[in-house]
Amino acid sequence: MTPPSGEVLQGTLDLIVLKTLDAMGSQHGYGIAMRIQQVSEDLLKLNQGTLYPALLRLEQRGWISSKWGVSENNRKAKFYTLTRTGRRQLATETESWERMAAVIQRLLGTQGA
Amino acid sequence: MHRLRIFVSRLLGSFGRLRGSRREADLDAELRAHIEALVEANVKQGMSPADARTAARREFGGVEQTKEAYRDQRGVPFLDALTLDFRFAFRMLAKNPAFMLVAILTLALGIGATTAVFSVVDRLLFRSLPYAQDDRLVSFGLTAPIEKNEFVLGAGYVDFRHNPGPFVRVAAMQPGVAKCDVTEQNPTRINCAHVEQSFLPTLGVEPILGRNFTPEEDRPKADATMILTYALWKNRYGGDPNVIGKTISLDGKQTRIIGILPVNFEMPMLNPIDALMPLALDEDEQRRSNSGVPLRTFARMKPGSTIAESIVGLQPFFEAALQGAPAPFRKEIHLSIVSIRDRQARDARLASWVLLGSVFAVLLVACTNVASLLLARATGRQRELAVRAALGASRGRLFRQGLVESLTLGILGGASGCWVAHLLLKVFVSIAPEGIPRLQQASLDLRVVIFTFTIALFSAVLFGVAPALASPQPEQLCGKEIRATTRSVLRQILIAAQVAVSLILLTFAGLLLRSLWNLERSPTGMSTENVLTETVALAAYRYPQLTQQIAFLTALKTRLRNIPGVTSVAISDSLPPAGQMRSTLLTAVEPEGRPPMPEGTGGPVAWRAVSPEFFSILSVPIVRGRAFEAQDEPPSQHPMILDETLARRLFPNEDPIGKRIRLFRQEAPWRTVVGVAADVRNNGVIEGSDPQFYLPWENDPVEFLSNAQILVRTPLDANAVATWMREATKEQDATLPVTIERMSTRVEKLAERPRFNAVLLSLFAAMGVALAAIGIYGVVGFLVARQTQEIGVRMALGASPQNILGMVLWNIGRWTIVGAAAGLLGAWFCARLMSSLLFEVGAHDPLPLAIAVLLLFAVAFLAAYIPARRATQIDPLIALRYE
Repeated sequence: MTPPSGEVLQGTLDLIVLKTLDAMGSQHGYGIAMRIQQVSEDLLKLNQGTLYPALLRLEQRGWISSKWGVSENNRKAKFYTLTRTGRRQLATETESWERMAAVIQRLLGTQGA
Repeated sequence: MHRLRIFVSRLLGSFGRLRGSRREADLDAELRAHIEALVEANVKQGMSPADARTAARREFGGVEQTKEAYRDQRGVPFLDALTLDFRFAFRMLAKNPAFMLVAILTLALGIGATTAVFSVVDRLLFRSLPYAQDDRLVSFGLTAPIEKNEFVLGAGYVDFRHNPGPFVRVAAMQPGVAKCDVTEQNPTRINCAHVEQSFLPTLGVEPILGRNFTPEEDRPKADATMILTYALWKNRYGGDPNVIGKTISLDGKQTRIIGILPVNFEMPMLNPIDALMPLALDEDEQRRSNSGVPLRTFARMKPGSTIAESIVGLQPFFEAALQGAPAPFRKEIHLSIVSIRDRQARDARLASWVLLGSVFAVLLVACTNVASLLLARATGRQRELAVRAALGASRGRLFRQGLVESLTLGILGGASGCWVAHLLLKVFVSIAPEGIPRLQQASLDLRVVIFTFTIALFSAVLFGVAPALASPQPEQLCGKEIRATTRSVLRQILIAAQVAVSLILLTFAGLLLRSLWNLERSPTGMSTENVLTETVALAAYRYPQLTQQIAFLTALKTRLRNIPGVTSVAISDSLPPAGQMRSTLLTAVEPEGRPPMPEGTGGPVAWRAVSPEFFSILSVPIVRGRAFEAQDEPPSQHPMILDETLARRLFPNEDPIGKRIRLFRQEAPWRTVVGVAADVRNNGVIEGSDPQFYLPWENDPVEFLSNAQILVRTPLDANAVATWMREATKEQDATLPVTIERMSTRVEKLAERPRFNAVLLSLFAAMGVALAAIGIYGVVGFLVARQTQEIGVRMALGASPQNILGMVLWNIGRWTIVGAAAGLLGAWFCARLMSSLLFEVGAHDPLPLAIAVLLLFAVAFLAAYIPARRATQIDPLIALRYE
């Protein structure tokens, strides 16, 4: 069975979440999910529930922190914020992703040519 | 660092149980908020509330799956599952209290007994001694018929010690301990050992305060010095470090305290001591004398050398020592080197191994029992396991579940085993006789507890996990049970093993009991009824002269004689049946007109000095001639009395009365034999008694009068008379230490150690048999339950209850017979090992063996019959519908 397109690539969810938080500042899980869908223009099929273990994982690593607060429509919600180490991590991961993407690009390009 | 933080945060996630429910609530709230937000958004887009919710669910994915993934991420999944497993295990065990109780009780008994015995023998057999590199320490020297512990004679030793052959270092000490009197204020009598200056360095012991003796202090006529034991230092001097350098008055001599021994110090022969003093051997005097003083000698072997090598290296010294020995001795002297550990354990060693072996056998039976129980349970739970496997439990998970249940059982069994061991140890110590080395020190310590838990966990895991290894068959889901024939065979083999081990235990116990019975019925040659003994030890500094000692004892005798109810009083220097008797050699007993014996010493001859009443008080019959009389006592008279063995040996086919004998040495006066007394048991019970003669007390200047035994015969209550005796003695000398005992107690003490062994082994045998019975009962019950259907079919086809009973009994009987046969074989081979513990019983005595077999079969039959009868009461109609 071939995986449907738009499935989140293994290991990229962390980067996506970090980048989203970097762009939006403090945000809750729903907000993050909406933002990811919006930015990816629904191309990325995110099973929203998988976001939560990922958020916990990032928090355990100290890249994000969480705080209970009140959402825009007056609901109690947990807000996640990028920490300083998280920002550093985002930078390194972005860099390595770009390098990787470039390599893949080049590989695909040469094969195509 | 980073990884560590993650791990800690996850560990907290696993074990931060206090906040556990709050965490769950938080997670729940967070996820719900998300879904509500999705629903709201969907409603805004125009969906109906119900559709909105369904869509939200779809978008979000499985809530429970998310939670599960989240929990896995939060904690350490392995630990979380383990906690769950433990909880589940407890629940499973608690659900079946009978199973749990039997299993834990079985384990507790087995482990408890093993631990208790191990605690006792640990110090004896395994624990290192409080000396540096104790495996290289040996006791060396000569052994002779009258001295079975190694000794060395001073004349040879003074040269040997400067060039100690195969040893790194040697040290000598005066045999035994000497009594010393501290004569300053608060006078007391202490035990002193006289040791050479090299004694502590050889053992590798250093004083914790002060120093060892210097070579100068170990010379004759040096200023007196002493080293205190830790206990004496604490008790008498309050642990005051300034006591070093002080002088105290010891036996009237100013003695300087120069050091304190470590708290765990003990003498190589385990004599209780309070202080060490220099041996101060006079080299010139030793060389000049014929042989010199006897010494106890210890040595440290060279690294890597063995006892056998050292014996070879010691040959030149041995040859030289033989030259110095009196001619008749030479043939009977042997060279001996024994490790200090073996020297300490002596005859307790074999008994210790036998006890340890038997208790391991009990443990084995206990473990097989638990194994049977666990197997039975596993068979009963096959369906449960199959269901769980079908619901997605991995094999590893099921295996772990089995492991955890076994561990729980093992831990519970081990913990209660520790408790049982603690109780048993108390019992052992309280019923144990004197003279089992180190028993008083036996205690449950960390090592022993670790030992217990290792056994518990090992046995539980071994037997608990085996059934969990097989993967559950899907067929078991359908409700029809599959007959686990292989497991039945395994269980039967376990039963056979139990029967075999129990039979060996029973045989051993039977042999020891038989031997004990023989012991207690063996004649001592005297009557101990209504006889009390008083042991007095006269201090040398108070009564230095023999005449003073005689005067004191004569006066004391008169006082005791005047106690109302005392019918007679006797004095002796030693007492049967096991006393430190004085001993000489047959060659030193020369009948008149007899040429000296051609060679050899003729073996030891024991003797004691007694007052005339000795024979009548102990009812020792005079078979010929007469007993001593009051007029024999003055030193001008020279009568003697032989016992029957010695009379036969010296004067075969002759009347010994009136014969003349010279003792010990040429210039001694001729003594006239006035009587022959019946033999009295002297060397304890196990060893045969040596020939013996009696001399009148106070008749001959004898050296050891300071330790006198006073015998008192009275028909009155022993306790009352003992109090009066104590008072009478106190009136005469208030400082005199006195021990009063019933004569019968002294005789009973002889059988104490065999009794201890027999009681313990009987206890183990009873445990073994009881456990085997439980095992058989369980297995038969289990088989009957499994075969219900088969039995129903057979009965429907016309089998009579007798047929069924026979079938069930034969099923178990086969294996019992196999086990019994193996046990008989084992008992036959093992019994020889313990033959030296037996008294007048052959190791292959058929009676204990026969009784053991009968007893075992009776118990096995009973244990099998009860559940087997249930099989005959099966209603075929119900049985066929069963399951």
